[in-house]
Amino acid sequence: MTRAPAGGRAPPAGLALPGTSPEGFMSETAPAPASSTAPPATVPSRRATGARFALFWGAPPALWQAAFFLVPLGFLVAMTFWSVKNFRLTPDSTLANWVFILNASFFRNAYVYTFWLSVFTALIASVAAFPAAYTLAYKVSPAARRFMIFMLVVPFFTSYPVRIYSTQIFFSPQGIINSALAPLGLGPLHVLNTPTGTVVGYLVLTLPLVVLLQTFALANVPRTLIEAAHNLGCGRFRTIATVIIPSARIGLIVAGTFAFVLAFGDYVAPTYLGGSKPPTLSILIADQVKSGNNWPRASVVAVMMIVTLMVVMLVMIGLAYGRRKGRA
Amino acid sequence: MATPMIELDRVAKHYGGQAAVADVSFTIDKGEFIALMGPSGCGKTTTLRMIAGLDQPSSGEIRLWGRRLNEDAPWERDAPLVWQSYALFPFLSVRKNVEFGLKQRRLPAPERRKKAEEWMERLGIAGFAERGIDQLSGGQRQRVALARALALEPEMLLLDEPLSALDPHLRVRMQSELVRLHRELGITFICVTHSHSEAFAMADRVVIMNEGRIQQIGAPREIHRRAANRFVAEFVGGNNLFTGTARVEANGAIALESPVGTVHAPAPSEGGPASGTTATLVVPADRIELASAGTGTGNEVTARVVTVEFVGTTVTVFLETEGGGELRAQRSLHEIENTPLAVGQPVVARWSPSQGFFLPG
Repeated sequence: MTRAPAGGRAPPAGLALPGTSPEGFMSETAPAPASSTAPPATVPSRRATGARFALFWGAPPALWQAAFFLVPLGFLVAMTFWSVKNFRLTPDSTLANWVFILNASFFRNAYVYTFWLSVFTALIASVAAFPAAYTLAYKVSPAARRFMIFMLVVPFFTSYPVRIYSTQIFFSPQGIINSALAPLGLGPLHVLNTPTGTVVGYLVLTLPLVVLLQTFALANVPRTLIEAAHNLGCGRFRTIATVIIPSARIGLIVAGTFAFVLAFGDYVAPTYLGGSKPPTLSILIADQVKSGNNWPRASVVAVMMIVTLMVVMLVMIGLAYGRRKGRA
Repeated sequence: MATPMIELDRVAKHYGGQAAVADVSFTIDKGEFIALMGPSGCGKTTTLRMIAGLDQPSSGEIRLWGRRLNEDAPWERDAPLVWQSYALFPFLSVRKNVEFGLKQRRLPAPERRKKAEEWMERLGIAGFAERGIDQLSGGQRQRVALARALALEPEMLLLDEPLSALDPHLRVRMQSELVRLHRELGITFICVTHSHSEAFAMADRVVIMNEGRIQQIGAPREIHRRAANRFVAEFVGGNNLFTGTARVEANGAIALESPVGTVHAPAPSEGGPASGTTATLVVPADRIELASAGTGTGNEVTARVVTVEFVGTTVTVFLETEGGGELRAQRSLHEIENTPLAVGQPVVARWSPSQGFFLPG
């Protein structure tokens, strides 16, 4: 995180490849790339070893990503220009799918709805998780923290649809919550098949992760900075706003962004808790495929989602790592 | 006597079963420069943190102008601290760091700005006002940390190892600058350090701690010339400690049969060693002269040169006597220019009996 001021900061882990050892770094300043010069004997051999080492360990994941992510992604983009004739997929180079989807009001509505519901989820999750993360990071013993972190991972032991089904039971008209409320003269609560239901599902998915990420972010804030704030007259709550949140900014933004990304692409919660009313983009994709086998139109929606996620990620990374205006 | 500014009354701090500070009592007057000194783990930093309110005493009382301070939260106290690591806010500019404390006190923006400007000017960092902390050198950060604390115009300033992160030549400069600031501001400085040279160079009074307890409190000169016990005599450095059997002589002086031979010293005004008891004589190394030949007066020990160490223009000569006793002498380079000091060379180490003193008990 942003802990270390300049000076003795180690290079980021991602850069610590063999070739960037101090010696390797020095030879990097040579005017020409290694391939076009004949430097002294020992240096290139060490660099070559380093390159082979990097290739050996780096190639398998790179190949994996190429085979199962880049190729399908290229295929997905290509398919947006295909057409469907008599329910059969036909290679083509038409813009008709793009024109249709981008002009369709059902797409626009679903896009706006999904986007804002995901933003809302990210905000709710971030705000709801913060007190828990704050407690875990600062207020409990290390043993209790380890236990709680373990407990936050436990939800991921069961598959997500199973968790959503059990949530469905909680909120169903004769479910646990409504049976508990009825004797009190309250309810019934209508959560299932509403946007609220979708948000509840999104939170089931994202909240444990957001708490975890925020806990790590807060735990990395140097204690002395918090003490310095106290020492300079800043009470507990003001310290959160003036020192803790700015210090943990990157981690907190990453946590919120994760919540957004997970919610934006989720299919399970809006289907089983939101009742597809109104549909989100992931439901639109399924609908396009199910009704009419229209893979190209589904692909357009998918590509739009990927582009949106990329833009959001870039904006959030810029927000996380960018210099703040207030500083200059 | 008037109420002292700060009183620590039987203060202790336990972590689990461990006592970081066992039982500490002392007072600090307004405007004093106090150094808390000791080896690491001696409780000096914990003591400072308790004054700042960052740690709570397990028992005992800390008072400010006679008022119990124990329960006051750190943000309710007026005791800004300068951290060893500076603890500057990396997400704020130099100016905003200096303004931070003033902002917490709800000072209106124009006044805040003016005060911050004044202090940045005073500490020579006005030129970096808009920079980020990561763009500053260690010495500049130190000044920002000082400005941030002093901008509050507190009645005391706490310093935790303020010089140890600086390189040696900057350390000496900063040291004299701290002394100058202390003189000009007239406020109380409480400084934690493990370095006796730092403590003795800056402080009016030094509190020497070990294992959570105070070993001695006194002015630097007093501690150098009258160490209260063996720990202090060894910790402040530059002392020779000769342990042996005492014998009270006819004139009241005391002779000590020590590994370096029989040496003499005046009896302390009270509680001197009796004949036949074991006693320890302290002779500061800078009081020992070296010569090629003896004169037959005072204490004289003939020994061979073991090592010669140069630090600047100060020379420390380590010697060993025929009987295996060790001693060292600290001289200025010019004082020994004409004394041959090759390793293995015999020389006469001599000092006047009045330069030595016996440890109590």
